[in-house]
Amino acid sequence: MSSKSVIQPLESYRLSQYAVPIPCYICGTDNTYDCEFCTHCMAPMALAHQANSQKVAPSMIAVIGASGVGKTVYMGMLIDMLSRQTEDINLFVRGAFSITLQQNTVSALARNEFPKKTPNEPDRWNWVHCQIRGSLRRYPSELIMPDMAGEAVLEEVDHPHTYRVVRSFLEKCGGAMILIDSLKLQDGNRDQDYFTMKLASYLDELHDNGKKSWAKRPVALVFTKADQCDECMDNPTEYAKHHAAGLWQQCQQRFSRHKFFATGVAGACARRESMTEGHVNVPLRIEPRGITEPFTWLLGGM
Amino acid sequence: MQTRLEKTVFGLILLFCVVNAAVGWWMNNDLLTTASIAGTCYVLLRIAYNRRLAKRRGKVKSVTVKPAVAEREDNPSDPDNLIQRMLYQGRFALLLRAQVAGNMTAEQFDLAMEALGDGMSLVPDGEVVLGQLDDALDDGELEDEEIAAARGRKFSVQAFFLDRYPVTNRQYQEFVAAGGYEQMPLWDESALAAVLDFVDCTGTPGPRYWKNGLYELGEEDLPVVGISWYEASAYARWVGKRLPSDAEWVKAGAWPVPLSDNSRVQRKFPWGDTMDRSRTNLWGSGPEKIVPVDQFPLGVSVGGVHQLIGNVWEWTCGHFQSGTFQSGNHSVDELVISMPLKSIRGGAFDTYFDNQATCQFQSGENPLHRRHNIGFRCAVAVTDLALRRPEEELPEASAAPAEQAREAETPVAACALPEGQTEPEADSTSTTEASV
Repeated sequence: MSSKSVIQPLESYRLSQYAVPIPCYICGTDNTYDCEFCTHCMAPMALAHQANSQKVAPSMIAVIGASGVGKTVYMGMLIDMLSRQTEDINLFVRGAFSITLQQNTVSALARNEFPKKTPNEPDRWNWVHCQIRGSLRRYPSELIMPDMAGEAVLEEVDHPHTYRVVRSFLEKCGGAMILIDSLKLQDGNRDQDYFTMKLASYLDELHDNGKKSWAKRPVALVFTKADQCDECMDNPTEYAKHHAAGLWQQCQQRFSRHKFFATGVAGACARRESMTEGHVNVPLRIEPRGITEPFTWLLGGM
Repeated sequence: MQTRLEKTVFGLILLFCVVNAAVGWWMNNDLLTTASIAGTCYVLLRIAYNRRLAKRRGKVKSVTVKPAVAEREDNPSDPDNLIQRMLYQGRFALLLRAQVAGNMTAEQFDLAMEALGDGMSLVPDGEVVLGQLDDALDDGELEDEEIAAARGRKFSVQAFFLDRYPVTNRQYQEFVAAGGYEQMPLWDESALAAVLDFVDCTGTPGPRYWKNGLYELGEEDLPVVGISWYEASAYARWVGKRLPSDAEWVKAGAWPVPLSDNSRVQRKFPWGDTMDRSRTNLWGSGPEKIVPVDQFPLGVSVGGVHQLIGNVWEWTCGHFQSGTFQSGNHSVDELVISMPLKSIRGGAFDTYFDNQATCQFQSGENPLHRRHNIGFRCAVAVTDLALRRPEEELPEASAAPAEQAREAETPVAACALPEGQTEPEADSTSTTEASV
């Protein structure tokens, strides 16, 4: 009886790929080519692959704020609106993973619901990698914006190095949008003020080097839910002076390039009590206001 | 314009400079001569500049609008004058009340009827279905099973007239100029304390974004916004009409046509069953602001009602909590709302989603809020008007029509309730819910 021998080719090409590490685009840690998330900071490796393939280093914008302030809704609406409009700035998402945030947000809002709370685990965050084009921009630019959980950001601010991806990202990004809940401020809740003051201090202390200091980077302070707060929508700067005096002072001292904005997405809201989710806000209609202005200002300053 | 003091000062300086120039020339003092000539030139240039500035200001029209009624107050006791004024103010519905119409001349009656035909559209009586029915309406036909599955509700609507256009700034100005904010019988008792807060940017009674009780020049034909539900109701009473009910509003837009006992055709949009953004002012299809009421004429309904969808939301007399709003799989009954909300319909220039700009979609707003994108239009039941002039005819016009017109200006409930029905199920007298 003769045995038939089969020659198995050696998959050396795979071994060679393993031999060349891919640095994470956010923290720079080396990872293998087939890693989905960075082993150090849990940022998606797709960002590094895309940056390598296009030979372009994307800029980064941080959208940060307390839990429940509306970061996911704001970012989802922003991306959807910029994707639909053709004037001024136009946005093209890169990669299927970049569409998840937009899809989840818009689908929920179309059903008269807000999207679910962003989980704290960094590997479950939605990252957006997109290309920005516009009539006022000579060349298109690449941009990365993650939807980071507010609780994770707060945890990192209170206990540095808890969420390495937050720190690494904030060190590298060229500008930031800090979202503040205008309704809570109107109600006299100072937590928003304190949280944002902590954030401002954290950012300011990230870099001691004058060139890379956050004092010189543009920071947009965005009051959310301002469609239900007429005073804020009419004049966000004055609103900040009167209702968030601590934040106002911090910004004057720490950020040389900052501006206050007011935005709104839902024209009116109601509430529903859920056994599983507790207190759930329900938008009664969607009429975005002031969504693109902070982003446009920030891009112009970066 | 230059004041007298300014003119005097300039004159004295000019004289001084001229005298000094003459003295300097006579004394061969070049410095004095040069300085005086320079001073003279400066003063002359300054005078010329001030005149040019005054001319330019004179060309710019005042941004305010003259009160509309003052010019016609020549003879308020003249019945013809009163009727003409009421027609101009759009208050023909009061003139067509039975107690008034019979005492007008044929010509006056015809004018009132013409105003009715021009300003309002007749919506015939019939059945209409309300609910989150957009999916069921994809094929245009609505059957009883689909209504039950979507938790829809049928309503029977009596014939009524609906304004062809939303109320404009120009029309609302008539109300403001006539002292509507001071006529307490026009206002809901529950809102009397809040009337003092219904002021414009300058603290004068009027819509929120006006100044000194007047709208900006050039905005005559924009729908009036920045008005609360109570202000809309008061205006409706003043013109002898009321706010439409939700069922009436939807019937005017969806124009249901019965096919059989169990099915009917009902439109998703006034123009048909598919969204056509060229017919309406929504986010992304218009200039991202309010436009005049006669724009987007292709969005007209079957009955000739314009801009039901887009441009501005419209107050109705219905309550949001008794409506058909749905959030995911949760109905409006599951919502916790701190205070009663009034229903608004139609979408506005900043409405983002197509499914929130349909005839069926209903949103809610605090009746005290004065939003930048909420306006209204009025309705009146056919049975409230005398559409035929009674056979009796006076040989000549007398003071009686004027007195009866004044008597007819008694407050009419903005949304009267059927007998035996109480809030919060407030709908118009012409609407009753049928069993599904």
